[in-house]
Amino acid sequence: MLEVVDPGPLLTLQDRGRPGLAHLGVPPSGAADPWGHAVACLLAESPAGAAVLEVTLGGARLRAVETCTVALGGADLGAELDDGRRLPCGAVHLLPAGSEIRFAGSGPGSASGIRAYVALAGGIDARPVLGSASTCVPARLGGIDGRPLRAGDVLLPARRGDLGAAGRVWPSGTAPHPATRPGPIRFVAGPDLRHLPPDAPEALAASTWVVGPASDRMGIRLDGANLPAGREILSHPVIPGAVQVPADGRPVVLFVDGPTIGGYPVAGVVPRWQWPRLGQLGPGDRVRFAVQAAAAARAAWSAQQRVLAAAARSVRADALWDRLADGSGG
Amino acid sequence: MTAHTAGSVVPRRAVIERMGDAALIATLADELDAAASGWALRAATAVDARRVALPGLEAAVPGHGSVLVPFDPGRCRESQVRALLEAVLDETRRAEPAPGGVLHEIAVRYGGVDGPDLPEVADRTGLSEDAVVALHAGTEYRVLVLGFMPGFPYLGILAAQLDLPRRATPRVRVPAGSVAIAGRQTGIYPFESPGGWHLVGRTDVPLWDPVRQPPALLAPGDRVRFVPR
Repeated sequence: MLEVVDPGPLLTLQDRGRPGLAHLGVPPSGAADPWGHAVACLLAESPAGAAVLEVTLGGARLRAVETCTVALGGADLGAELDDGRRLPCGAVHLLPAGSEIRFAGSGPGSASGIRAYVALAGGIDARPVLGSASTCVPARLGGIDGRPLRAGDVLLPARRGDLGAAGRVWPSGTAPHPATRPGPIRFVAGPDLRHLPPDAPEALAASTWVVGPASDRMGIRLDGANLPAGREILSHPVIPGAVQVPADGRPVVLFVDGPTIGGYPVAGVVPRWQWPRLGQLGPGDRVRFAVQAAAAARAAWSAQQRVLAAAARSVRADALWDRLADGSGG
Repeated sequence: MTAHTAGSVVPRRAVIERMGDAALIATLADELDAAASGWALRAATAVDARRVALPGLEAAVPGHGSVLVPFDPGRCRESQVRALLEAVLDETRRAEPAPGGVLHEIAVRYGGVDGPDLPEVADRTGLSEDAVVALHAGTEYRVLVLGFMPGFPYLGILAAQLDLPRRATPRVRVPAGSVAIAGRQTGIYPFESPGGWHLVGRTDVPLWDPVRQPPALLAPGDRVRFVPR
């Protein structure tokens, strides 16, 4: 059982979201960094679609009302216990009753990112709305009453958690977070190239962009060498990852809580295998983009899923050994 | 939100393009057009009806003059989705003889605190407030698309005399139930949110309830008539 002492800038419940409802105007939401979410769930032995806490930047504080085990995924936001003990990311930690976990945060431009995921062993008891517990603040859906978590909120375990998982770690050597991989963020060009100057994808790839301060789960705003202004077009459906070029020429990468339709041309779409990188971009980060063929993006997605699945098998095998070792069954 | 002006472009052919690595989008018109919007809706419905036949196909999303078809590249190939979409567009091109759609009558309080932009709309269109209300309530609209926020209906097509661009500065807070206009469309804000359309009235009809099935009161293809009260 965890109590929110301080939510920091933004603390929400997230799972894998509610895809497939765009025709109702409902964005998919879900963890901004699906890799970080998956790591936390796997380490905590939660189901793959379990609800976890998404911590944004520094400042959040959580209190263990009773002894519990949590797994940390996503970015390393400098988590530590109130006794000063450091809680590394990609590992499972025992929180004694009454102890407090604090996120010191990471500065702007930090390589590791801005979002951490806290999975509670046994899962967090959350009521799904439209098939998901994910909080979508602009649409007021999911989480607790569709709002960010606040001080005093209590998160109950869905079932009695396994305390024996503490100490288990993610095989980061073989399955590193995709955000640790250097190089530009890939995008598939189009679909609105006929409404843009012909070299719009190249122009997007030619500059170094700075993530703007107003970036959030709805959209990542890019400052830099402006692209030629996009002119308003007839609205069409859009998806997370779509790089929209508005009238001021400053691209916006629409993201998981973003609008389902948009009226500005889309120069390219960041494919799903790059979302773990998008989800870790914070204000002040510098970022470059590069065009990728759709087939190559699909191959990269499959490869990423294979790495995740192999790491999951390794974590599960460790868990099995732990149980055999302490004689609690197997 | 787009506040696009209506054109008289009759859709002739669709352009199919990639939206990333896991979706195709068919564009049927570049301007707001009732015929293209109807085609997009019929195509989206027909794509959804084929989801059983092509595993990996995900729920289609109708737009104003386009339809988005997402798919799972791990379960089906882009070429299969493209072929299916081409076939569907061809089949659904011709309008059905009797377009159906549930008719909703929505009571609206026009002007005053409920429609704070009514005087400005009257001023900019050169009409009296009563004439604006008569025009707005005198048209039967069709739900073109739900989007921008859950359950927000884009309704068309608004009388040409009321065609105004969006407000230069969007409002930070538009109250729930606000009935608004922009370009050749009118819409209703399902809950309080920011918004840039001109607010002409307000309704108490609940448009969105996530625990109701379906959660949105209106569906694309439904008809809407506003009733002044």
